Amino acid sequence: MLSAYRAERRKLFAQVSTRALALVCALGPVAFAIVLSAQSGVPADSLLGVWVHNSGYAVSFVVLDFAGYVGFALLAGVLAGDLFSSEDRYGTWKTVLTRSRSRADVFAGKLLAAAVLALALVGLLALSSLVAGLVLTGDQPLVGLDGNVIPSGEALWLVLASWLVSIPAVLAFVSLSVLFSVASRSGIVGVLGAVLVALVMQLLALVGRGTWAHLLLVASAFDDWHGLLAAPKFYGQLIIGSCIALIWVAGCLAASWAMFRRRDFAGPPVSGRPGWTRPAQAVLGSMALIVLLGAIASVGPSAITKARLESAVLRAFNDLTVLQQRELGRTVPAGTELNLTTTCGRRSGKSEGPGDDWSCTMTVVRASAGYNPFELTPVTYDVSVKSNGCYKAESPPSFVGRETMVDAHGQTVINPLFTIYGCFDVIGSAPRCPRNTRCGEAVAPRPAGAAGTRTTPPAERQQQQRALHEAERAAGPRVMHEVEEAERKLEHETAHPQPEAERAPRTEAPAQTRK
Amino acid sequence: MAAVSASGLTKRFGTTCAVEGVDLVVEEGEVRGLLGPNGAGKTTLLRMLLGLVRHDAGTIELLGRPFDQAGSAALDGVAGFVEDPSFYPYLSARANLEVLAELDDAQSRGRIGAVLEQVELADRAHDRLSGYSSGMRQRLGIAAALIRAPRLLLLDEPTSGLDPAGVRFMSQLVVTLAASGVAIVLSSHQIGELEAVCDTFSVLRGGHVAWSGTAEGLRALAPPSVYRLLTSDDGRALTLAQARDGVRVERSSSGLRVTAEASAMDGLVLALAQSAVAVRLLEPDVSPLESAFFALTGAEATRVGAAAELEPGVGAES
Repeated sequence: MLSAYRAERRKLFAQVSTRALALVCALGPVAFAIVLSAQSGVPADSLLGVWVHNSGYAVSFVVLDFAGYVGFALLAGVLAGDLFSSEDRYGTWKTVLTRSRSRADVFAGKLLAAAVLALALVGLLALSSLVAGLVLTGDQPLVGLDGNVIPSGEALWLVLASWLVSIPAVLAFVSLSVLFSVASRSGIVGVLGAVLVALVMQLLALVGRGTWAHLLLVASAFDDWHGLLAAPKFYGQLIIGSCIALIWVAGCLAASWAMFRRRDFAGPPVSGRPGWTRPAQAVLGSMALIVLLGAIASVGPSAITKARLESAVLRAFNDLTVLQQRELGRTVPAGTELNLTTTCGRRSGKSEGPGDDWSCTMTVVRASAGYNPFELTPVTYDVSVKSNGCYKAESPPSFVGRETMVDAHGQTVINPLFTIYGCFDVIGSAPRCPRNTRCGEAVAPRPAGAAGTRTTPPAERQQQQRALHEAERAAGPRVMHEVEEAERKLEHETAHPQPEAERAPRTEAPAQTRK
Repeated sequence: MAAVSASGLTKRFGTTCAVEGVDLVVEEGEVRGLLGPNGAGKTTLLRMLLGLVRHDAGTIELLGRPFDQAGSAALDGVAGFVEDPSFYPYLSARANLEVLAELDDAQSRGRIGAVLEQVELADRAHDRLSGYSSGMRQRLGIAAALIRAPRLLLLDEPTSGLDPAGVRFMSQLVVTLAASGVAIVLSSHQIGELEAVCDTFSVLRGGHVAWSGTAEGLRALAPPSVYRLLTSDDGRALTLAQARDGVRVERSSSGLRVTAEASAMDGLVLALAQSAVAVRLLEPDVSPLESAFFALTGAEATRVGAAAELEPGVGAES
């Protein structure tokens, strides 16, 4: 088999398409990174695209994200899609199969060559994107998918691990391309078939609500790396995606071998060269299978639930608020968590399933002057959720500020709260809400100042103050500091009452941004 | 040990029976010619021997190894090609041979240089196949076979596309290899190309073996030969020929067409000389082997045994 592998490897290296592909993998990410560094915009459709100017590691993840759509399928198609059909085109089966190697050796040698070369090109793409990002942007810490800040060293390992977990899905598409090549005996079908399947799978991922049906689409496995960048990390999708990818590998290769082993190489006059009938059958058969999966995509419960989304968005909002405040130069102790409540729902009235009609309202409990030192400020994000558990939450600028802000060093940076990207685990149980938060409840904000005109009995006031102190301790040192300031002001105002017209404005919320 | 021992080989493609009940035994050092018109089953038979096509019935042994049980070793010591040799156009001739040598034993790679010299392609070894003529590809096909140092060579239409020099080269190569003990099976529908090199023949017709035997045996089956005769006085020559027993003559656009056994032809030539008619041209129009071939593969021929129905000559007095 190794000799057949060497022969096949030499042929692949000699082909223009293979060399062009290697060139694209080596230089494409570099060109991409150069273009990114020359402009202020960011690739907004990629999960970590907003961070490409903040951390060089984000560049590699953006490349990985884009490759997962169609890039890997195209790579597999170019390498493996013409592996068998080219022998038909050149008429060289009668040359290759009359040497001292069995059909099994020839088959295995071709597979090994395609797989090794595919993995080598994936590695080249990973290395190129990583180096380009680090050189042009730097090795700053990376903001993960839940707003968690990942140190530089850990980010490096996560980049490498994320590319590694894509390998099973890449091999699945290599196997699918081999199947198309063997079945259709057409280079066009072999190369483009895998790309077409990948595109159809991406489309199917947008429809239906059944999580398990989507997991059976092997293209879903290209999202397996999401769990590595979440906090806490989740591995369920990765394990299941890898297993499903390997099942695809086994199935495609078994079918390919069964066809190849029994085939008579009788030459064009007798062998019934398939023309377009067999290629069409191969493609239509695959499409029918995928459409069937799409049809059952709505079967079964959806993993996109209100509870999962609330927990994920809440955690991300908390972490990104802390990040924002630090970028603005404010001191935020480690482990600080906001006092938040959140509730999510769909405008359609459903309570689960992917879609772009989700909205999540987070109510921030923030300190304010006046009798009631806490004011409730709701912020609503419009959330679009995909079936793989990834979401994009957008908010109007009135609360979180504009898309960019000026940090403590005078640099214009991305406002972390403007658009929140994240992913949550669709396999495991819904995580609990972070400490100091409540999910699933709508807390109506009390209008500011309304309670200031009411006279509260001393006993009730004491009870409120006790509850207030408990909340203060739970809210963290910073809030406590602000509350103390507010109480000092209150005492001063009580001792020296002022006309209403001269009363000071309320303290702004911590999430307000400065230009 | 026979180089090829095939028995009862049968192959059907759908409802078409390409080969049925074919037996073939070729000894070491023997040169066997496979003759037959287009569609007779020659190429299918060779494809079965090379493992490109699975036989539906029968057994094959190559160099003493049962084909179905030998696995990857089935074609060890066996080489050849069917139809036009095919290679990778984006590689040079040498690179093509190096790729194929990877699929052979360890010694094949070391023979590439010598073999390219032998087939007279050494000075074009680094040119891409896309620039090769059909004759050059044919020689490269031979080279691809020779790097395996075969003990059994199976060649389908090996002189196809070759000029006269190439045909002579191929004939000399076959003779040289056979002399060294290599068993060779050649197929062609052009019996003239095989006549000089083959020891034995198998004539296929409609997927069956119509006749099998030595070249002399095939010649013996031949009907009277047909000659083309040009004289100084064709009119008188025609009169003289018509008066002789065992000679059939007719005018043609290129002189006289005479059908006669060799002895009767000798007598006619002497008679012409005695009558002061000079013979300007006397050549076989159809060779005896070709005559036998046409008789065996013609519409009136049947399966093996048809040879017994052929008369040794028309009007001959044996």
